Amino acid sequence: MNTQGKVTINQLPTGVPGLDEIVGGGLPEFSFNIIAGAPGSGKTTLAHQFVFANVTPERPALYFTVLGESAIKMLRYQQQYTFFDPAKLPDSIRFINLSQVVLEQDLGAVLEEITREVTNANPAVVIVDSFRTMVRKPQSDMELQTFIQRLALFLASWQATTFLIGEYAEDELRDNPIFTVADGLFWLRQTVERNSIVRKLQIIKLRGQDSVPGLHTFRITDAGVQAFSRTFGLTARKRVPPSGRRLSFGIPELDRMLDGGVREGDSVLIAGSSGTGKSVLATQFIAEGIRQGEPGIVAVFEERPQAYAERATSLGLDLETPQKEGKLTILYLRPLDLSVDETMHSILDAVQKIGAKRLVIDSLAGFEMALSPGFRADFRESLYRMIFALTGIGVTILSTVEVDESFTEFPFSTYSISFLTDDILRLRYVSIEGQLRKIMVVIKMRGGNHAKDIREYEITSEGVVILGKRLANYQGLISGIPVRSDRPDSTEKPSLDTGIEHKT
Amino acid sequence: MTIPPEMRDLAHRLLAFEAAADKTSEPAMSAPLRVYEKLRQSLCALAGVAAFQSIAFSALTQAKSEAPDLWAVRIAADGSLEGLGEFETQPDEFEPQPGSGKEQAGDGGIILIDHVLGLLLIFLGQAITINLLRNAWPGAFFDDRNAGNGRES
Repeated sequence: MNTQGKVTINQLPTGVPGLDEIVGGGLPEFSFNIIAGAPGSGKTTLAHQFVFANVTPERPALYFTVLGESAIKMLRYQQQYTFFDPAKLPDSIRFINLSQVVLEQDLGAVLEEITREVTNANPAVVIVDSFRTMVRKPQSDMELQTFIQRLALFLASWQATTFLIGEYAEDELRDNPIFTVADGLFWLRQTVERNSIVRKLQIIKLRGQDSVPGLHTFRITDAGVQAFSRTFGLTARKRVPPSGRRLSFGIPELDRMLDGGVREGDSVLIAGSSGTGKSVLATQFIAEGIRQGEPGIVAVFEERPQAYAERATSLGLDLETPQKEGKLTILYLRPLDLSVDETMHSILDAVQKIGAKRLVIDSLAGFEMALSPGFRADFRESLYRMIFALTGIGVTILSTVEVDESFTEFPFSTYSISFLTDDILRLRYVSIEGQLRKIMVVIKMRGGNHAKDIREYEITSEGVVILGKRLANYQGLISGIPVRSDRPDSTEKPSLDTGIEHKT
Repeated sequence: MTIPPEMRDLAHRLLAFEAAADKTSEPAMSAPLRVYEKLRQSLCALAGVAAFQSIAFSALTQAKSEAPDLWAVRIAADGSLEGLGEFETQPDEFEPQPGSGKEQAGDGGIILIDHVLGLLLIFLGQAITINLLRNAWPGAFFDDRNAGNGRES
């Protein structure tokens, strides 16, 4: 009992990676929960993970099966998961088949049988799989409600944490009394979108504590169910206030255009068409960070890490050594059916593992294409959450995005994501004197000055090299088809934009 | 179903273990019946009567094709055996007979236990099967790495 005399509700580990964070730390002890969802959505596996995470020979689990998967088959399949610990059998888990009493008798007899088994075993965890099957026989609403309430009361008084598993449809939520009685309601959804399976879970209700609202992606692997919180596990993490420190690209002229470099904790977007050097700039950014003792992550979607590192070598940048020294991780994220949340999870794991200060996402287009079609619709929203979460802990993110080269407009990206970024650097081709040259301009730098100059640059064996002068003697550079004016090339230093936007 | 040699060996050892116990007490049941009964109780406690009964029924059906002397044996509703009591195999008959390849007449009990263990191995895997045996025979030692190495402690 705490100092205010309130009941302390212990939280039990769910045994499902990522789910504890979603349910607010763990599952309330002695709670009466429902796992609902379609067949194959992972209900039984989730229940088993909870069981294996919490039972002991002294406080075992009772797993009541009813007309569904037999205990033998369940054991045969569930033991394929890595969470399944055979050492916990038979002392800590017992399976009881209630099919006969369900088929031949009424709910009163079912309750009596459960009561007898629970009284004998004193379990910490009780699972009924499937509860839906148990109450399938016609009975009055009152009879069903009475049964559920007596069952819930009995199991709580025996200090058992309970899961009832059932194949429920969402339109039953309003009328079925089981949902009223339950303390916790976990809904597992599984949909097919084009050729991909999209799995999401929702905590519709959880008495006694806050859970993270919304739909959370989950995946079933050989490790069982793994959930990916929409908040990426960073809810409780304190946001790091902006340091104001400038991070160098390792390209002095560009740093000057950025008034000293990118502000630490900013989200930078480099937009340009194919071949303009977005990845080269990104590589130089990450390499310069490593040179300055700032570990980095590169998430690549369009080429293999080895190829990425080899391309850096051709620019005189060594990405092999820092990888071996644990200062750099190049993540290749191209599995099928990837969700943003899973990608984020991989990136966050890598960030936390090496204490990364710089992150490159190369590219957003590749990122989007790597996602399951069902997740692409949420791409911008997910990207927002990702950037917010990562910059909030002080990571500086540089994303590249390919834009279609147009000679009538000057788009920053095809994603309408400029609002997500603090700084935008635009690269493009221009036609000058019979040559296709490259120019760059800083479009935006939230919370800081930046140069207004349009600068020509080249990609050499040393990376991006900004040529000496701003192109003052051309009009209409951003159109890509400039017109030469009589004004000579400027020899002035880059001028800084006087307008300062404040970071919000 | 082909019974792995190590399961057959384990069945012999369990029977020998129970037969040895015969010498220190007045057994009310034959050794095969006692081995079967312990397996029944152990698996029923873990997975329920229905689970054991289905395995026992399958094991008996397969064993009958190899041991005609099991023709009168039946599985009761609670999974117990009816009709195996008349087996009067002597303890030393349960010693493994490597290379013999065929069980002798009157070895129906051993064959049945072989099949029960074989099915447990198929459905539950070695780790859980060994745990069940450890539970049922706390005085015996079973090596996880090789079920055939089960031996008395």
